Amino acid sequence: MQLALKVIGSAMVVLSSGLLGYLYAIDCKKRPQELRALQGLLQMFETEITYASSTLVEAFEKISGNSRYSAAALFKSASEILKNDSSVGAREAWERAVKSNARQMGLDSEDENILFSFGKMLGSSDLEGQVKNIRLLINQLKIQEARAEEKRKQNERMYKTLGLLGGLAIVIVLL
Amino acid sequence: MDVDLIFKVAAIGILVAILHALLDQAGRKEAALMTTIVGLIVILLMVAREIVRLFDSIRSMFRI
Repeated sequence: MQLALKVIGSAMVVLSSGLLGYLYAIDCKKRPQELRALQGLLQMFETEITYASSTLVEAFEKISGNSRYSAAALFKSASEILKNDSSVGAREAWERAVKSNARQMGLDSEDENILFSFGKMLGSSDLEGQVKNIRLLINQLKIQEARAEEKRKQNERMYKTLGLLGGLAIVIVLL
Repeated sequence: MDVDLIFKVAAIGILVAILHALLDQAGRKEAALMTTIVGLIVILLMVAREIVRLFDSIRSMFRI
């Protein structure tokens, strides 16, 4: 009876800590993916405002339907904020959207700051300025993506193994 | 004395060795060092009682 209880308990500990490590590994994988998706969406955004010359809300709405990543949700919530509350400007709406979505996209504070500085220029200059701003953001995101990818390579496997081995260590100490 | 303790110490030793290699490879030297130290402390805590017993028996053996 006691042995069975011990076995079940240790299995639970190992399983849960392994799962925790796995979740961390998934989080690691998410950031480069989201950054890549964001770049693609920004390309679309650029096309949208240069060739279709749509307004910010329209452009945001249109491109938000084009991706299955959370990066699309960022544009979606920005457009919703702009639509629902006429007192906020493009910059504030963008900042709010970034703040509410950054966690879900697994972005770190550096990525957030880059997005904020993009928001500062958003909707405050002529078309050429906007396009330049978007290109700048895409370039910066590319650098961040390369960094995130490197980090992912380093950390993904480590988190997985660390979770499992940590669970085993706890079990052995408690046994 | 139970042999279980020896096995436990051996198992923790193996685990700590693997963890150290893993963290070292991932470029986290401080974390690797930390796990090694933590493993050492845990094992020391586990065998502290036995060490005390050893000292006691030695002391009683030589009557000091």
